[in-house]
Amino acid sequence: ILIKEYQIMEFAELIKTPRVDGVVLHRPFMPTVEGTLCLTGHHLILSSRQDNTEELWLLHSNIDSTEKRFVGSVGSIIVKCKDLRVIQLDIPGMEECLNIASSIEALSTLDSVSLMYPFFYRPMFEVIEDGWNSYLPQDAFKELESMTDEWRLSKVNKDFTVCPSYPPLVAVPKNIDDDTLKKVAAFRHGGRFPVLSYYHKKNGMVMMRAGQPLTGTNGRRCKEDEKLINATLRPGKRGYIIDTRTINVAQQAKARGGGFESEGNYPQWRRIHKAIDRYNVLQESLIKLVEACNDQSHSMDRWLSKLEASNWQTHIKEILTTACLAAQCIDREGASVLVHGTEGTDSTLQVSSLAQIILDPGCRTIKGFQGLVEREWLQAGHPFQQRCAQSAYSNSKPRQEAPAFLLFLDCVWQVLRQFPCSFEFNESFLVLLFEHAYASQFGTFLGSCAADRARLSLPEKTVSLWSWVNRPQELERLTNPLYEANSLVIWPSVAPQSLLLWEGLFLRWNRSSKCLDEAYEEMVHIIEYNKELQNKVNSLRRQLAQLETEDPLLDTP
Amino acid sequence: MEFSDHIKTANVEDVVLRQPLHPPSRGTLCITGHHLLFSEREEGSSQQVLLLLRNIDAIEKRMSGSSGTITIKCKDLRVLQLDIPGMEQCLNISRSIETLSCLDNVSEMYPFFYRPTDLSLQDQWGLSTPEKHYTQMKELHERWRLSSVNKSYSVCPSYPPAVIVPNCIDDETLKKVAKFRQGGRFPVLCYYHRKNGMVIMRSSQPLTGANRKRCKEDELLLQAVIEDSDKGFIIDTRSSQQVHQARMTGGGFESKSFYNCWKRLHRQMERGKALQESLIKLVEACSDESHNVDRWLSKLENSKWLSHVQTALSTAGLLAECVERDGHSALVHGYEGTDCSLLICTLAQLIMDPFCRTLEGFLALLEREWVQAGHPFQQRCAHSAYSHARFQQESPVFLLLLDCVWQLWRQFPLALGFSEALLLRLANEVYASDYGTFLCNNDQERCALGVKDRTHCLFRALLRPAERDYYSNPLYEPTELAIWPSVHPQSLQLWRGFFLRWTQLTHHLEAVQEEIRSMVIEWGRVAQR
Repeated sequence: ILIKEYQIMEFAELIKTPRVDGVVLHRPFMPTVEGTLCLTGHHLILSSRQDNTEELWLLHSNIDSTEKRFVGSVGSIIVKCKDLRVIQLDIPGMEECLNIASSIEALSTLDSVSLMYPFFYRPMFEVIEDGWNSYLPQDAFKELESMTDEWRLSKVNKDFTVCPSYPPLVAVPKNIDDDTLKKVAAFRHGGRFPVLSYYHKKNGMVMMRAGQPLTGTNGRRCKEDEKLINATLRPGKRGYIIDTRTINVAQQAKARGGGFESEGNYPQWRRIHKAIDRYNVLQESLIKLVEACNDQSHSMDRWLSKLEASNWQTHIKEILTTACLAAQCIDREGASVLVHGTEGTDSTLQVSSLAQIILDPGCRTIKGFQGLVEREWLQAGHPFQQRCAQSAYSNSKPRQEAPAFLLFLDCVWQVLRQFPCSFEFNESFLVLLFEHAYASQFGTFLGSCAADRARLSLPEKTVSLWSWVNRPQELERLTNPLYEANSLVIWPSVAPQSLLLWEGLFLRWNRSSKCLDEAYEEMVHIIEYNKELQNKVNSLRRQLAQLETEDPLLDTP
Repeated sequence: MEFSDHIKTANVEDVVLRQPLHPPSRGTLCITGHHLLFSEREEGSSQQVLLLLRNIDAIEKRMSGSSGTITIKCKDLRVLQLDIPGMEQCLNISRSIETLSCLDNVSEMYPFFYRPTDLSLQDQWGLSTPEKHYTQMKELHERWRLSSVNKSYSVCPSYPPAVIVPNCIDDETLKKVAKFRQGGRFPVLCYYHRKNGMVIMRSSQPLTGANRKRCKEDELLLQAVIEDSDKGFIIDTRSSQQVHQARMTGGGFESKSFYNCWKRLHRQMERGKALQESLIKLVEACSDESHNVDRWLSKLENSKWLSHVQTALSTAGLLAECVERDGHSALVHGYEGTDCSLLICTLAQLIMDPFCRTLEGFLALLEREWVQAGHPFQQRCAHSAYSHARFQQESPVFLLLLDCVWQLWRQFPLALGFSEALLLRLANEVYASDYGTFLCNNDQERCALGVKDRTHCLFRALLRPAERDYYSNPLYEPTELAIWPSVHPQSLQLWRGFFLRWTQLTHHLEAVQEEIRSMVIEWGRVAQR
């Protein structure tokens, strides 16, 4: 593979010094090692040539920013990764150091998607189940069909012309035809007409999501839009529209052609405004949070005020609260819900996916959660390519970056922590998804929507993350030993006192987790041993019962 | 005065009790000399709530029409509410609670009346005595002796009758040193580090005063501690500015010129009022119901509680470093030597000594370093976070210790033989208890009231088989190594299990811990068969 990479001109031009000996690597919580540094088109590799193991094998796309420092003729490159790790390479020779640094910089910011590593990566493991076929919309729809016949799978977007960010197949009310959908799409931001996001089996209520309606300043209306969403209401029932923007922001959106559903045109719907931030605000919050976490000063006050100033926990709380609200409308009020913000690709998805975590026990299994990420984030058109281009250490001016997905994962972690027995997966799974969303050998998080993925032929040319995850040894690592299937709705507490900093992610490289890992392993061990003993007890009981029936003497003492 | 004089209405029917984590229930309320008893009178249930009146920190009453509501705020941070029909009954009840919950007379307190069937007053009180402790520590005998100079509590009222001091220092010298130390608390041995023979001593401040009085005997005693080794460390739990001010009021510090083998390190630790106020602010923040994250975090910061936790742990870490890493003996003191000194000596022992991390070892440590060493529990724990009374001597030093131990437990989940449940139990017992262990301020007072003959010992009760099971850490794996806690602000957390225990959230987590625990006990049982 490596040779193949060298042959690609784009890479060869960028690598002036492919190899340096005597490089010293410093990493958090690991001994310093000296070895040979190699640069390839996609990796930074350091090997001390002992035990044939590579001490470092870092994807260029995982590098968020670099800094150079010189002391005499030894240069140091500080590499800050998107997974929040910071490592340091001491390189002898000024020129080598400069060459390496400029290569890393260039290689880590390549824009061309088709040069990304997933297109070169060949799996070294046996694919048991091709992840690209694991969560197809038509399969999800079959499940829906077994519960209700009020919905149909529309192919109106099959060539991505009606809505560029939607998948080719979407679920819509049965009595709404494709022509109506086209008209509705023209009335919604980015063509994102209301589609089914979740069907609540318990009471038949649904959650839909969309882009904002394009009412503009003069209150344009669209009969077809009204007809579509009204078609999801039971006779005499009202529904809720959860707008993830404040009323002010929604009002202002009118000036730019956007808007919201007015009471007059949507009398059967009650609109609720919440305040979930997006884009820059979130990105800055992440940057501040990570800065606070890396702060080495020993002042407790400073830490707590920096944590507070980052506002991260406030964002968590807003998102969780809004998701709880949506879930409450559906489960407790017995009403259907439509969620949207501006584009309907960020905060909308946070709310719709978290509400499902709360409501649907199926989403709390490992496969169920993959399905949720696939449905509500990947196929729903969250622009991963743009949002995850940079992480917390980047010096470049943020454009479209925003840790919307990371916030979602953090919220799931909060719920998982509050309900430690209700999830089939553990924290490691969430951390893994965070890492792969930002840099990965798999194609799952490439592109920004289904159309991108089709255009890049990702299913044919890259390996799916799910193919790797859904193998016994990986699944075992990601399984929560405390899991007990729980068919209930779980209501998380959103009181500020209940929300914690996600240490396993944000302090992962700042504090050694050795002792905690040991304790976790010990717990897993106890639980396994317990299961083993229970099996033994059961088989002994069976034997005893059998003996009793065979030997009547046992009954007469 | 009889308890009955304080009880005008002993029984009220049709009272509604609201308590956290439970639905409201209706029943009968009784007041006795020491308890508030609520018995549910609902179809098919016979739930009872028994509350020690001593556990009540503050009460508030509200009248509306002919009925009244009493809000009871407990020292264990629980808040209960009683809806009582009848204005007069409500007033009577609240008056009784108010009086009975803050009776001062120790010998009338509940531990003197508590007689459980499975414990006998003939049982040994306490886990050990200074004599036994000394006898067991064979390696001490060569250089250290047990002195009975304080057998009648005349040399130091707050010390136990027997203390460990260097062999070569006789009782007459000790008497002179006692005069030179506040409250007579001359330097005594509190910990012997087996790995290198180094020791931790503790005392109170020297009474050098403004004109730099010195005491040859005191210098001699400290010199005898380090013997031939080149130096020792004095860890003063006050800032250097504070110690200079202390000279104005008769106190002081060991000056370099008279104690040239000792190096003084200053670490300012808050005590007394500052700590009490910090607790009050923290509890207020925890019960804040506004749903505002910024406000919560700034209130948490404002309370400074976590800063106190950090300072305590890092000072204890410093002490342990002096002894374990640098191989030097150390003396610890602040002002009186009854609060912060005990706090950091205890934590340092937990860090260094594997035996202190077992269930028995930890309880024995608390007995030695807090009960026998004369931490004034009676004064420090008279009130907790809700009290409106003006503070006198209240200060949650022991609670701060428990919080620090919890931080250790969280950072080293395998290293401690006991569980969070034990820390929670101790946090309750220290403020209101059936047992006599935390009564009084020192050994002398305990002796005078016959506490050891007339009450039961909490530590022994906690070591009964059922309790021992319950308070053990299922994940415990002994390690001989020192456990060095991280004191980075990012590593320290709010002790949610204690401070937020009455909120719905911790409830789920308790359920999980309960499950793990019962699983471990179950497999222990099966494995034995």
